[in-house]
Amino acid sequence: MFSDSFIILRKELKRMFTDRRLLFMLVILPLIMLPLMYSFMGRTSKARQSEISQYTSRIAILSQQGSEESTTLFLASLAELNTEIVIVQNDEFDVALQQVTDKDVELFIVMPEGMDQNLDENTVFDFTIYHNSTADYSDFAFSQVQLAFSAVSEAVIRARILDGGLSEDILTVFTINNSLSPEVYDLAKEGSVMGKIISMMLPFFIVIYLFANSMKVGLDSVAGEKERGTLAILLVNQVSRLSIVLGKMMAVMIAAIVGAISSAIGLKIASRYLISMYSESSESIAEYTMGTTALFQFAIVVVPLAILISSLVLVVSTFAKNVKEGQGMIMPVYLAVMVMGMTTMQLGDTPPEWMRITPLFNSLVVLKDIFMQTAAWGNIVYAMVTSLLVAAGLIFVTLKMFNDERVLFRI
Amino acid sequence: MLKVEGLSKEFRNGRGKSAKSVYAVKNLSFQCKPGEIYGLLGPNGAGKTTTLRCLSTLIKPTAGNAFIDQYNVIEHGQIFRSKIGFLTSDMKLDGYFTPDYMMNWFGKLNKMEDDVINQRKEKLFNDLQMMDFIHKKIDKLSTGMKQKTAVAISLIHDPDVIIFDEPTNGLDIVTSKAVTDFLISRAKAGKIVIISTHNMTIAEKLCHRFGILVKGELKEEGTLSEIIEGSNWGNLEDVFFSYILPGGDHV
Repeated sequence: MFSDSFIILRKELKRMFTDRRLLFMLVILPLIMLPLMYSFMGRTSKARQSEISQYTSRIAILSQQGSEESTTLFLASLAELNTEIVIVQNDEFDVALQQVTDKDVELFIVMPEGMDQNLDENTVFDFTIYHNSTADYSDFAFSQVQLAFSAVSEAVIRARILDGGLSEDILTVFTINNSLSPEVYDLAKEGSVMGKIISMMLPFFIVIYLFANSMKVGLDSVAGEKERGTLAILLVNQVSRLSIVLGKMMAVMIAAIVGAISSAIGLKIASRYLISMYSESSESIAEYTMGTTALFQFAIVVVPLAILISSLVLVVSTFAKNVKEGQGMIMPVYLAVMVMGMTTMQLGDTPPEWMRITPLFNSLVVLKDIFMQTAAWGNIVYAMVTSLLVAAGLIFVTLKMFNDERVLFRI
Repeated sequence: MLKVEGLSKEFRNGRGKSAKSVYAVKNLSFQCKPGEIYGLLGPNGAGKTTTLRCLSTLIKPTAGNAFIDQYNVIEHGQIFRSKIGFLTSDMKLDGYFTPDYMMNWFGKLNKMEDDVINQRKEKLFNDLQMMDFIHKKIDKLSTGMKQKTAVAISLIHDPDVIIFDEPTNGLDIVTSKAVTDFLISRAKAGKIVIISTHNMTIAEKLCHRFGILVKGELKEEGTLSEIIEGSNWGNLEDVFFSYILPGGDHV
């Protein structure tokens, strides 16, 4: 029986790895798509940030009565920023507001009346800064001006304290972890910071890649053969239907794993852009390593997971009349799997118990543990066994459908 | 010897209580001896293809059975398939591969050794004059070449019983002759050949015995002379039309 399955598998693999179009979709595209996508996103984002920071912000300032002297102080704090100051008069107030709305001016700062006196008498006063939250340049200028004015505020407070004959230390009650560099106090295992980031992202990507690649090959495997009329000639030969199902399932599983490996390599290349989107950690993905045990644990969870996903795709492919119908049927399943992946992405360190006992979910949770190097063997074996049991159930259903002429020939 | 005994196939249209039952084949019995070509004749929808699909194990009969020696189609599906070569016009080959590759592949699926496959390939390629295109992708072949390839593949395991549904349908006159000559040679070699057709000229030339199937029921059976002698008509085509045309003797 298994020898027949391998004969079927060999043909499916020959098709898969010699058909240039399929090979491109399965191996080359995931390899180049992720680095291209993330480097494009990274470069675009950096270019935008650089453009915004180099932009000369136009700031309109209205200095009211009694604020002439202190206005000079605050304007001096803006000198280091890339700004163009426009002094406006009281009668130009509405024009200045409109200019901010129209994005002709980034900010409109109204210096409060009597600010000089407020400063002298140590009384609180309120700045009014009009900005436009839908304009990136205005947002950036707003944050820069807030920082600059806060610096002036701190300098004024310091001067007041010193003038009162007090020590500057009165401003600070205590500090935390200030004696040595921050890394000294972080007792996480070496590489586990990156492990945490990887454990958050990778299980999701793995399940999505396994599913997407299974679909690329799996839907065509039976539904495509039905559609082209090539399945019947196989069924009238001396091969059992179980051998056909197993041969096809193995081919879909190999496609899923090959595609996932290719995607993982692409992901590693793209990781420096991706990691920077999730963390400001100084560790890089290249510093993260998995030991032999972790790699073995990874393999015994991922291979049964690939078998489960391939079997799931094969059930749909067998039931569907043609590839188009199969695509329509598999989409809700794909979305459900995506939601499951996203749910585990948001998990804390202790996932709920129901996730540990639910097939597919438990594989994702255990993969997280493996990347964090905290996986328990009991959980690994449980995930592996449940994946294989569900896959066996799905293969049984596929086999039933293969023996049902109403499903196979839609008669 | 192939024996079909009381074979029926019922299809149900719809679901539940409103489902309607339709018999595509009803209580069909016939038998064929080695060296014989049996023609199953009938208009479209007569039940020819359904009968042949039951014999190929693609679908299960609702009642009755078919036997090749001591094996029956219901209980010994895999052994039954090893004894038949089945081809129907709606069976297509994977166009990505070459005839040579597909012959090897189907040979392996039929548990044949490499040297036996090679001998069988050489014979079939020569008999069907396929040598010019055995290394071309099936997608690139003409209809006739594809049909020859399908014939060769269905017979790679040298089956005792050859079951072809409309084997010359859509073929040009040259390929059609090649296929019919080949079938005649197989019968001469002691094989049982069953074909379905509605082409009376081919049927008369090719078949030793005939069964006329109308609405799933066998209306006439026998050699050409037996069928004509038992009717008021002078040829097979007229007998056939007497069953299906309005105003015909048996309509």
